[in-house]
Amino acid sequence: MACSNLTMLVSSKPSLSDTSPLSFSSCLNPFQLSNHSSTVSTPSRSSSVTPVHCNLRELRDRISSVTNTQKITEAMKLVAAAKVRRAQEAVVNARPFSETLVEVLYSINEQLQTEDVDAPLTNVRPVKKVALVVVTGDRGLCGGFNNQIIKKAEQRIKELKSLNLEYTVISVGKKGNSYFLRRPYIPVDKFLEGGNLPTAKEAQAIADDVFSLFVSEEVDKVELLYTKFVSLVKSSPVIHTLLPLSPKGEICDINGTCVDAADDEFFRLTTKEGKLTVERDVVRTETIDFSPVLQFEQDPVQILDALLPLYLNSQILRSLQESLASELAARMTAMSSATDNAKELKKNYTQVYNRKRQAKITGEILEIVAGADALI
Amino acid sequence: MTLNLCVLTPNRTVWNSKVNEIILSTNSGQIGVLPNHASVATAVDIGILKIRLDGQWLTMALMGGFARIGNNEITVLVNDAEKGSDIDSQEAQQTLEIAEANFRKAEGKRQKIEANLALRRARTRVETINAIS
Repeated sequence: MACSNLTMLVSSKPSLSDTSPLSFSSCLNPFQLSNHSSTVSTPSRSSSVTPVHCNLRELRDRISSVTNTQKITEAMKLVAAAKVRRAQEAVVNARPFSETLVEVLYSINEQLQTEDVDAPLTNVRPVKKVALVVVTGDRGLCGGFNNQIIKKAEQRIKELKSLNLEYTVISVGKKGNSYFLRRPYIPVDKFLEGGNLPTAKEAQAIADDVFSLFVSEEVDKVELLYTKFVSLVKSSPVIHTLLPLSPKGEICDINGTCVDAADDEFFRLTTKEGKLTVERDVVRTETIDFSPVLQFEQDPVQILDALLPLYLNSQILRSLQESLASELAARMTAMSSATDNAKELKKNYTQVYNRKRQAKITGEILEIVAGADALI
Repeated sequence: MTLNLCVLTPNRTVWNSKVNEIILSTNSGQIGVLPNHASVATAVDIGILKIRLDGQWLTMALMGGFARIGNNEITVLVNDAEKGSDIDSQEAQQTLEIAEANFRKAEGKRQKIEANLALRRARTRVETINAIS
């Protein structure tokens, strides 16, 4: 009777069926499995209970590896969160400049309304060749961030091809660089690296490149592809026309609708009930005051000529900052879900591990009892 | 009456305090600004900004931009600005030499534009240090 019971029990848990009598030595100490597992070299019997196929020691290794991964992803998440703050500081530091710039541009524009202005950066020429500035991140592990922007670029390239327009790419960021390097059929004008925190220097490098391309009439239009930071969980790849600038200093999106410069938005990271949230302010820059009788030291054209590159520069800088903020936010989200997954996985593994350990002990006790029964 | 000078770059505010007098390099030559100057808008070339503060002259390298003067307020918007005292002279000299070499090598309209800009920036930085000593 006891024997039949035993076989039934054993067969219902097939992973235990090849437990050899050797394992008696370790039956009461499941944490010393060295002898046992070395003899049971065929680790996985298809178990109907769980999809995990391995023996106890492998399970333990896996649990510890998942724990380590969880620690890493959690740390990365925290680092990204700290960096988002710094990115935000950079945006705040850039505020006085961009505000004054918009203010000046606006007031000068008012005075120039009556005059016929023709600055090189505002030249609208028939478009034959387009330069695409693609802003990607420097590092991976940030979800779909880099992929999204590259896909957007690919899509834009296809559109340009179907319109029979030539194009060239200016790639900013390591991820974009390696993508375009692997695809030699895409003409790339320049590879630039993003750097940790975008500064005026990086923006200047891009602006110089774009400027000379446009002024030397190699390209007739410059488009900027970057990721707009919407919130910590949302960011969207967008295309902006950088050049030609409209004389009013407006930046147009791809459909020609103007994004008003004075309607400047800026994001602010705050903590709400212990969680990070994003506030987005629409700041309507004050464009009044300042003496109405302003003399121009030079030709209005020259002044506009000096102002528009500045504007171009600050626009590029802002898009770099937004892109970085989006990247960090994307990394934060990706890492936080990775941490959640790791937790879940660890929980499952631990459950399986405990179940197996229990089953093994039960099996061994039954074997001892059966052995004792047989002796009588 | 004192003059308030504000030098802004996209990164930060480089200078925001009272000064006695400044000399600014504009596209049409240098202009000196004393208190109660007429309202003027001017383009700023790549060049040196000289600031007189309590009888002492300070210099600053400006990388091109725009200035607005009025109501004893001077607002200078530039791409980049460095105080003369912050520039490493050796490094600036090296950059100038590289820029000069690049300029000689430059071919084609586009490269010339780029090299010329780089050269002028580098030269201004060196001149900014030398103006002090």
